[in-house]
Amino acid sequence: MSGFDVLVAGGGIVGMTAAFDLAREGRSVIIVDEGRHSGTTANAGSLHIQMQSRFIRMYPEQVADLERSLPLYPAGAAHWRALEAELGVDLEIKSSGGLMVADDAEQFAFLADKCARERRLGLDVHMLERAELARIAPYLGDAVHGAELCVEEGKLNPLKANEAIRMTLQALGVQRLDEAVITALSPAGHGIEARLSHRGGQRSLSAGQVILAAGSGTGQLAAMLGVAIPTVAEPLHVNVTEATAPLIGHLVQHAERMITMKQLGAGQVVIGGGWPARFTGPEEFPTVNPASMIGNLSLAQHIVPRLGSLRVIRTWAGVNTTTDGQCVLGKLPGHDNVFSAVPGDAGYTLGPLVGRMAAALAMGRDPGHDIARFTPARFAKPG
Amino acid sequence: MSDRLTITFEGRKVGAHPGQSLGAALAASGELALRQTAGGDCRGMFCGMGVCQDCLVTVDGAPNQRACMVKAADGMVVRRQAAPGETPPARMGAAPILFENLQTVTADVLVIGGGAGGLSAALAARSCGLDVLLLDERQTEGGQYYKQPSAALKAEPLDRQQRDGAALRQRCEGAGVRIIDGAETFAALDAGSVMATHAGRTAVYRARAMVIATGAYERAVPIPGWTLPGVMTTGALQTLWRSHRALPGHRILIAGNGPLNLQVACEVMAAGADVVAVAEAAALFAPARAGAALRMALHDPSLTAAGLALMARARRGGASLRFGQVARAISAVKGGLEVELGSATGGHGERFVVDVVALGYGFQPSNELLRALGARHDHDPGIRALRTVRTRECETTVPNLFAVGDACGLGGALAALEEGEIAGLAIAERLGARSPAGVSTNAAHRRLEGHRRFQAALWRLYDAPSPGLSLADDATLICRCEEVSKAALLAAMADGEPSIGAVKRRTRAGMGRCQGRYCGPLIAAHLAEETGRPLDERALFAPRAPVKPVTISDLVGGSPP
Repeated sequence: MSGFDVLVAGGGIVGMTAAFDLAREGRSVIIVDEGRHSGTTANAGSLHIQMQSRFIRMYPEQVADLERSLPLYPAGAAHWRALEAELGVDLEIKSSGGLMVADDAEQFAFLADKCARERRLGLDVHMLERAELARIAPYLGDAVHGAELCVEEGKLNPLKANEAIRMTLQALGVQRLDEAVITALSPAGHGIEARLSHRGGQRSLSAGQVILAAGSGTGQLAAMLGVAIPTVAEPLHVNVTEATAPLIGHLVQHAERMITMKQLGAGQVVIGGGWPARFTGPEEFPTVNPASMIGNLSLAQHIVPRLGSLRVIRTWAGVNTTTDGQCVLGKLPGHDNVFSAVPGDAGYTLGPLVGRMAAALAMGRDPGHDIARFTPARFAKPG
Repeated sequence: MSDRLTITFEGRKVGAHPGQSLGAALAASGELALRQTAGGDCRGMFCGMGVCQDCLVTVDGAPNQRACMVKAADGMVVRRQAAPGETPPARMGAAPILFENLQTVTADVLVIGGGAGGLSAALAARSCGLDVLLLDERQTEGGQYYKQPSAALKAEPLDRQQRDGAALRQRCEGAGVRIIDGAETFAALDAGSVMATHAGRTAVYRARAMVIATGAYERAVPIPGWTLPGVMTTGALQTLWRSHRALPGHRILIAGNGPLNLQVACEVMAAGADVVAVAEAAALFAPARAGAALRMALHDPSLTAAGLALMARARRGGASLRFGQVARAISAVKGGLEVELGSATGGHGERFVVDVVALGYGFQPSNELLRALGARHDHDPGIRALRTVRTRECETTVPNLFAVGDACGLGGALAALEEGEIAGLAIAERLGARSPAGVSTNAAHRRLEGHRRFQAALWRLYDAPSPGLSLADDATLICRCEEVSKAALLAAMADGEPSIGAVKRRTRAGMGRCQGRYCGPLIAAHLAEETGRPLDERALFAPRAPVKPVTISDLVGGSPP
């Protein structure tokens, strides 16, 4: 048995950024990652700020919570820029603006209402009529009636970002155990003991503190300590086209239908936005669903007709985590040395900020934001 | 041959024959450099069969067209393509469709692939009265063994191999097999259905049983200079001559491992090319291999004799035959490509200056659809590839999903013919169809056994250590599409025993248009060697839809016009 100051469960963006802050402050850190859901770093790289209409439609009862969480999103996007500077690596972050497009007057009115509420909450958002929209986004097709523009939205290259952080952690001496599944967590002395199965063998680790940053796997880990966190894995389809000359400048979404589109620096257009993928086999490997490929790309071509001449060359199934629409961030009830760190919707946008706040909590510092309502205690059964 | 037509390439007029691919017409007129990569390199045709995506050109304003797959048409304006290509204006705004709106085409039996195995399976199932639908991605089916010329080319068959292919196709058509040419199968939905694009539209093809006969593509062995225009696979060189009657140059050097190289050397010599040398990695005449040679002669004396005759013909034609040697490096020099031969383990050898270098190191099964459907595969060290687990009747571990030919384990075209017949008849029995009087699979099983024994001996005769990444230098690109060097890949692979997916995300290797078909097996083999990871299905990149790049407007062009 070997002891670490902090064990971080989950090697995705949240776990890695938490480890980054802890290691910089001299803590000895080990990251344990299951590596099942595509190494948990199958991100698409959107920086979301405005409320995604898909969540408003799917979970109308969560809208109030979504609005309360809204200020966190511009802070999350700003934090990405700070992280880029700290890493000293170009992550291709572009704040080129995000458009949520409407097909007709009714959808436009829905967006106008959303826009007004978001403005009151401090977002830099505007409604654009067709003529004005055509000027800044000539790639949009005739079917688009108008759009809401969110100035601070954008994108980054997730492959570069994940790799830059991974290399930085390595240089800081953070240990990493991939393809390792935590099978038990239990209090031991002043710390926590974790039992793992790792590539066919069993081993155990002890740490003074544990950060649960395992996305949809967080619920299962918290349950080992008798705490309920209702994380649900939502496998989602992503399409990637072959590279083309600069075509789509913005992060593009739709007022009523599920889609996000953006063009990355190398020229490929990444198209996703919530079309379902599925899990297959005993290991629940995320697998794409051809029906989602068709529906998603068909909608993409409807919004940006010129995409029609490009070929789709790659797809993957990313795993989104849903809870109740808000972050689950804070001390686990009954466990002073275990913290959960699950971003609310748009986990990659919020990831580094949530990682930083979790590290601050573990070090007994102010996380810098009011996180009282994100506490995992909210899921505890009354009585 | 047919009349000439004219295309323009970069403003220059180039002649072509109807039925020829653009790539063939351009190669015959000396235009081998077809596109520029993001890294600034020039690329030309490499695989010649639609897999590598290196021969992309802009045709009449449409970018990203594979020169090897597009037929030349009079007046076509072809341009060299810089990376990334421009996106042309939209053809037409279409209303969004859903999967549920796609047209569904049904049959009793669906056969994917129109090579020896697919045609044979289709014919056998059809002979029992079943409604058989065969999808082939090429405009002229026949696969990579029969390599049929397009009808428009009006070319006489070159030899028995090509005559046999034409005859088998005619028998299928005569028997009423429904053949759809130019249909790209890009996704498998379940054991009996796939999605394919054809003529700019997508449809779901559904049947009670399915035969996957998707063949194989050539294995990559990266060496310095292997991405230069004029360096292509032996199969590409063979396709240029057999299917398009075009030669990409006069002086040719062929190097690699396996019997195809000598055959193609003789074919292009007969066509008038000057094959200066053929390098074969296996030392065929080493005493240790005598047993294998003897077993081959025992199982198929006529094929063995044909092999020896090929050797004699190549020598008579002036080709220098180098056994136990490989091409170690290629560089562009004034007047062509300079190739350095030598032993696989090191040392400098003789240099040749040629127009074209053909590299042939055997094949890799095209098993993406099978793996996507969850059919089990085991790694076979004998063929250094995955072998589909099948019953004696060629059924995979997924019920009603059959697989025949090279797609499930590189048995060669003659074995594929027998497997096709066996699978076709087994499906007929499964579906309760009546086979014609007197037909039994006993004879086919007997012939198949003979072919398999011959193949096994042939593999032993040609056995040579796989060069893997060993012939590449640090700067040699391993992932041709995303231009990832050996040094970058080795660094990523040495860092913490990563999975192949992690290597892909770290380096972008395998994220390009060929979908990792060339670099994937190399990375998997290296990781297996270094980390002891098993070489199972999970060792390769996940076989996700689309298993071929598909144009979005074709993909979502599902509703009837």
